[in-house]
Amino acid sequence: MPGLVIHVLDLLTALLQASIVVVSFARGYSRRYLTINLYLAASTIVLFLRYYILSRHGLLSEEYIYFYYYSDALLTIGLYFTLIGLYATVFEEMKAAQYLRVFTILLLIGTAAFSSAVVQQSGPRLITRYVVEMSQNLYFVGVILTYILWGAVLKLRETRTRVIQLVLSLGVYFSAFAGNYALRNLYPQLHFVWEFVPPTLGCLLPLSWAYAFWHIPEDARIAPSRLAVVPR
Amino acid sequence: MSRKRTVVFLAMLVLVGAMSLKTVVVTHGDGSIVMANSGGPVPPTPWKNSGGPVPPTPWKNSGGPVPPTPWK
Repeated sequence: MPGLVIHVLDLLTALLQASIVVVSFARGYSRRYLTINLYLAASTIVLFLRYYILSRHGLLSEEYIYFYYYSDALLTIGLYFTLIGLYATVFEEMKAAQYLRVFTILLLIGTAAFSSAVVQQSGPRLITRYVVEMSQNLYFVGVILTYILWGAVLKLRETRTRVIQLVLSLGVYFSAFAGNYALRNLYPQLHFVWEFVPPTLGCLLPLSWAYAFWHIPEDARIAPSRLAVVPR
Repeated sequence: MSRKRTVVFLAMLVLVGAMSLKTVVVTHGDGSIVMANSGGPVPPTPWKNSGGPVPPTPWKNSGGPVPPTPWK
């Protein structure tokens, strides 16, 4: 039964992701949010491929294990560039694209180098450890970058509702994963709860983005004063 | 400080912050992996699913004493 619920959530996730990409193409803003669309398309393809390999080889097969972790690393890199795409959108009026590119590449190289240094001491399966370590480190870089971006949105008084919705959704997504990890370690006896959290979050992110793309017009604005906490 | 140096400094600052956060979170963890992309049942970690012990390296598995080098 738990497996069935997870499969249904995964199916919903795939449908939502694919529909966002299709609607973006149909409405003509796929280029404006190119990184988001590429990430969602890749994520959908990977999800179907995972289930295909799972059905052919099984959960404990080397094929599934390696495909799962290697594809996760690629998707995390995709998520990183999605985040950088949102940075480019927020900072586009500052003409800081060149500096943003340098920042992006430097941070990616730094993360890759740090991951390499960490796994140097590992024994067998060095490349696999490196891939998993890199994926994990990039996830934490994403957490920090999302909070910095949210700070920039508040500081620059960004008013585009859709951009704010996209950034906030990503912030909640990243934070919830970290929270789930911490709670899982605090209360391991509730493992039957924690196993549902990642697929639920994986479904909520495209749901929130779908709302942003389908129901919030491109020119919708939100008052900056409503974003900041005003002391009374 | 030039803008380029500022960019380098900021990138390193973010990296240090992220790795510190990771250290804090993972140190008290059970060794499982934090995954940012769900989808599909999570398999065991690749280096924990092997059935037997890791075999010795090929150049350390000899049984007898090491013979003297031929040129002595």
